[in-house]
Amino acid sequence: MINQSDILSTVRMIQEENLDVRTVTMGINISGCIDRDIGRAADAVGALIRAKAGNLVRICDEIANDYGVTVVNKRLAVSPVSMFLEGGCKPADALVLARAMDASARDVNVDLIGGFSAMVPKGITEGERILIESLPEVLSETERVCSSLNVGTTKAGINVDAVLLAGRTIKRIAEATASRQGFGAAKLVVFANIPEDSPFMAGAYLGAGEPGCVINVGVSGPGVVKRAVDRLTESNPESSLGEIAEEVKHTAYRVTRAGELVGRQVADRLGVAFGVVDVSLAPTPRVGDSVGEIYQAMGIESLGAPGTTAAVALLNDAVKKGGAFASSSVGGLSGAFIPVMEDHALSEAVAAGTLTVEKLEAMTAVCSVGLDMVLLPGDTPATVLSGIILDEAAIGVMTRKTTAVRIIPVPGKSMGEYVDFGGLFGSGTVTNVTCPHGSDRFVSRGGHIPAPIQSLTN
Amino acid sequence: MSKETNTSHPHRYALSVLVADRVGIMRDITAALMELNADIDGISQTVVASYFTIIATISTSTKMDTEVIRSAIESKFHPDEASVVVRPYRAPGNPQRQGRRKPYVVTMIGENQSGLLAAVTAFLCEKKINIEDWYVQFAGSMVTHIGEITVPDKLDIRQVQDELEQALASFGLQSRIQHQNIFRATNEIGPIRALLAETSHD
Repeated sequence: MINQSDILSTVRMIQEENLDVRTVTMGINISGCIDRDIGRAADAVGALIRAKAGNLVRICDEIANDYGVTVVNKRLAVSPVSMFLEGGCKPADALVLARAMDASARDVNVDLIGGFSAMVPKGITEGERILIESLPEVLSETERVCSSLNVGTTKAGINVDAVLLAGRTIKRIAEATASRQGFGAAKLVVFANIPEDSPFMAGAYLGAGEPGCVINVGVSGPGVVKRAVDRLTESNPESSLGEIAEEVKHTAYRVTRAGELVGRQVADRLGVAFGVVDVSLAPTPRVGDSVGEIYQAMGIESLGAPGTTAAVALLNDAVKKGGAFASSSVGGLSGAFIPVMEDHALSEAVAAGTLTVEKLEAMTAVCSVGLDMVLLPGDTPATVLSGIILDEAAIGVMTRKTTAVRIIPVPGKSMGEYVDFGGLFGSGTVTNVTCPHGSDRFVSRGGHIPAPIQSLTN
Repeated sequence: MSKETNTSHPHRYALSVLVADRVGIMRDITAALMELNADIDGISQTVVASYFTIIATISTSTKMDTEVIRSAIESKFHPDEASVVVRPYRAPGNPQRQGRRKPYVVTMIGENQSGLLAAVTAFLCEKKINIEDWYVQFAGSMVTHIGEITVPDKLDIRQVQDELEQALASFGLQSRIQHQNIFRATNEIGPIRALLAETSHD
């Protein structure tokens, strides 16, 4: 007999504390569909996606039923689309490909499809430039397509020209989707050290070294971790931070195991490879499913107060340790996210002014990703957006970790105004950087920030 | 505790003992069996609300009257202290005829009400779902039922879950049927791959 208290604690995690599998993401290598005739390439991509992912949602739902664990999102990630656009293509060709991805994703009933991406840490090819320049049209005219750019790596340094282009492009995307409050910008993530196997959107894509078809799973569970910290501190209000870290680690272990169980079963049933379980505390706007609430449970009453960065570091590290012990297949981002709009506690702290862009930036040095889902005034200059990306990329490149920027300059909105995207994208208040002027000359120089000395490891 | 091994002798018996719990019960039972030269080859023992109960299978090299075994065990207790039942062992039917079954766990949490267990067990029986183990925990007016069950492979588990919910609707409690692997995965140490390989034939 399985221990009764173990059964009840698992039931409680699922029923009361929002333990779920946040996403099952199928990676599909579409490089075999490259064709000089872009219409033929688009048809081939659509057909391949339908063939590989036709049963994904049904099988995920069957396995979710069997275990009583919800699989919240089913998604796709494909090889970087920029490689389809080399050799004399036009931005209109990019839209043809994006529409094919969108239509096939809709046909197989997945939420989002990532991989409309370009890897540009050291230079930009013609195809990559076309892809980036097509983003305003692509992200405004498709529903499910998500995009990512990688502008820096620890090995390559930072491509400042790509960062400048990214800043200008984010502005154009927001303006192209002004009727939806700039929502298109929420579907683009600009990375440094992008992982090739993350299942989380909008940054998921299938890297070059990955299997041809693979299932990657993203597990979450901030509610479970928060309740575990609550129980510990209720039983012993004097619990030390070491004891809290231990509790988080054990909880992350259990969360990871549930994800791997579901992921491996889905992969087995589909007859494809199992890749990684990305154990990330990814919040949703629901109360009780918030990473910010965990910091509050630890004792950070006002998010953004001194100590907040240490709380993020403690949580991020304990989650990784629990995940690493639970599974040999932990990958992707794995840690704690701080997506402001998607987390009601973080969002409220930004609205209250205790959590600033600068404090968030400090937190990204020790969290698993970066500056995520932050609303900025619509008149924020492109060079300021590029400066923010540059700072984040610098943190990532120098500390050998993934960092990312997903910022939305909301057209027509100013600091303090409220914006609601609905659903999992959440809502929030427009904020601003404390010093929005004074770095134009530095940022606009462009060029390339060389790879750091840490890159010389051989 | 529960353990079963192959029999060491050709003549096999099943026995059970119910007795108010005290120190030394297992010693008394095993002493009686040792005197009969019987080997224990399967055993499950627990204590519920201060009552000790054991189910065991034993084997002997010579055929014995069940009454001899029963008397030998009962002699180790005070008169009327223990209820002892001994039966000749009957092997289970051909498992292949019963069809493939999968291990699930049913949990029910809510206000305690009379008739609840009768309703659940009637539902499970109607679906040919076997109860392997059942545990009930009371906390004030609340009750938690945990049952380990094996479900015929041909049943659609989603439909069973929905029908159980309907069958228990009048009791107003939460019920779930979940494959046991979710509980093993979240509580055991060991590779998930190995767990799936182990249970792929369930």
